[in-house]
Amino acid sequence: MAWELSEVPSNLTHSIHDSTVDVIAAKIEPKLANGLIRQLNQACPLENLRHVKRVRRCNEFGEKSELSIILCLATGPENFSEMYPQDVKKIVDTYKLNPFLAKVARFSATSKELWEEQCKLWPTSYHPPHDLDGVSGCKENELPSIFDFMRTAIQLSEVGKNAAVIVDPSTMQIIAKATCGTFQHDDFKSNECAEGNADSPFSLLETTENKDRKFFLPGTHVSEFNSLNMVVSCINPWGWMKQRPSEQKSLHCEGGFPWHPLRHAAIVAIGKAAERDKALFPTIYSSTKPNSNGSMEYYSVDEPAKRLKVDRKDNEQSAHEACCNDLSETRPYLCTGFDIYLVWEPCSMCAMALVHQRFKRIFYAFPNPATGALGSVYRLHGEKSLNHHYSVFRIKVPEAYWNGPVGFSDKC
Amino acid sequence: MAAAAAAVAFMELALEQAKFAMDNLEVPVGCVIVEDGKVISSGSNKTNATRNATRHAEMEAVDALIREWQGMGLDQTNVAEKFARCDLYVTCEPCIMCAMALSILGIREVYFGCANDKFGGCGSIMSLHQSSSSSAELSGNEIPRPKGYKCTGGIMAEEAIALFKSFYEQGNPNAPKPHRPVRNSE
Repeated sequence: MAWELSEVPSNLTHSIHDSTVDVIAAKIEPKLANGLIRQLNQACPLENLRHVKRVRRCNEFGEKSELSIILCLATGPENFSEMYPQDVKKIVDTYKLNPFLAKVARFSATSKELWEEQCKLWPTSYHPPHDLDGVSGCKENELPSIFDFMRTAIQLSEVGKNAAVIVDPSTMQIIAKATCGTFQHDDFKSNECAEGNADSPFSLLETTENKDRKFFLPGTHVSEFNSLNMVVSCINPWGWMKQRPSEQKSLHCEGGFPWHPLRHAAIVAIGKAAERDKALFPTIYSSTKPNSNGSMEYYSVDEPAKRLKVDRKDNEQSAHEACCNDLSETRPYLCTGFDIYLVWEPCSMCAMALVHQRFKRIFYAFPNPATGALGSVYRLHGEKSLNHHYSVFRIKVPEAYWNGPVGFSDKC
Repeated sequence: MAAAAAAVAFMELALEQAKFAMDNLEVPVGCVIVEDGKVISSGSNKTNATRNATRHAEMEAVDALIREWQGMGLDQTNVAEKFARCDLYVTCEPCIMCAMALSILGIREVYFGCANDKFGGCGSIMSLHQSSSSSAELSGNEIPRPKGYKCTGGIMAEEAIALFKSFYEQGNPNAPKPHRPVRNSE
């Protein structure tokens, strides 16, 4: 088995046939299309079906194209002509339409293939996950370095600990490394190493492997939870309560805490990246103009209408702004554009922290069936209300990698 | 009645913390943590100053407590017992991150001001205050179960929203220029 990368979709991709919605549609004269779209969008907006196009064009027999328009959602399969709203009924009567039932895709497509399938039912719009080349959000030639960074994360993680490595993919630079600080551990090597790295932020990817380090064996089958796995913070976030350190040590206090129930690897790594940012760019903030959009970072009270207006403006200006600002602003906002490598799928606290800090891509090796928020229990990255969305990837680590010569002799 | 009056009194203190955040050009959110009817910790949002978007008011208040308790020599079990007696008053519904954090800590009760309809983890977007059943299956043996907590919203919500509104009018000086349209408004 080789190293493999697969995207964790932001919504479940059911077979297309069990994720459709019935709608009532009707054929219309092409010249009526614009007016009817306007009227129907007002009378009966397709609230949760924004990916569905209102009008379908069929080129049958190569003659003039035929248009059909969605009138409204069908509320039941039988006798649908009685069920549509008053305004829609008025339109049907005015234009003497002949409504029929049609099926449309319930969810927006997560891949080009799915989108093509959907369009056979009824056309939908498709937005590739991110503005990267490949459909999957990862370029083929990135794979070797992606696997390298995951190796770095796995080597960092020890028995009972998750590990996180933050990377700037544009420079291949490691921004921060961390392991969980939820318990007091005897071995603080990894913390020291992480801090050493923070001191020299320009160091490029180190490939040094500490062959003496005891690796954390995640178990060949993830279903086999052994006691070691259960202390990993993201998998068993409540485990800290039962932990009684054999003796209180105060020698090493990472971030001022010998242990801390919330210092999961991702949280610690974010803290280090923030410290690094402050060290590298000590001057107060870049000269970005105040705007109301970014301040939604935390909480939001604005109305959708206002947002829409702002967004549309952005759309037009974004290309222009991008070329003007890219050079002047070398300091990234939070972790914008960065990747993070986690040995274990994060819990919802960590996954949301990664949203707040604006990561671009999340890579994890092992799913977390207990509390995993990026595919296993929840799919936070598919939550539309959030103000930032990242792509999520799972890296399948070959068994040989942890059964190999390095470190597992005592486990197997 | 007495409980409701107390809740308002504590929320007023949380709002003071939120105003403190706003005076420091931070998104105005504040909180206090209460044990046995006494405020034992407070926190205000520090995401801009720390350049760490996870430094929400709740996290600040929790860290201050843990630091204090560790200084007193309390171990994990003692700290868990302490949190089980604590209530949090926060001006805005905890986000998904904080809602999960509060569950991890095993806090007793949460009172919040306005709802958080984009990130709220206590009912708006997710309901992390209700202990989930998905992880219960795994908690057969000695594994601690997910902790739920009682959550009450809408306490002085208008005041909390008014703070946000005046903050947005002055603008967040540290926000990035928007790069591209936000996905959810397509």
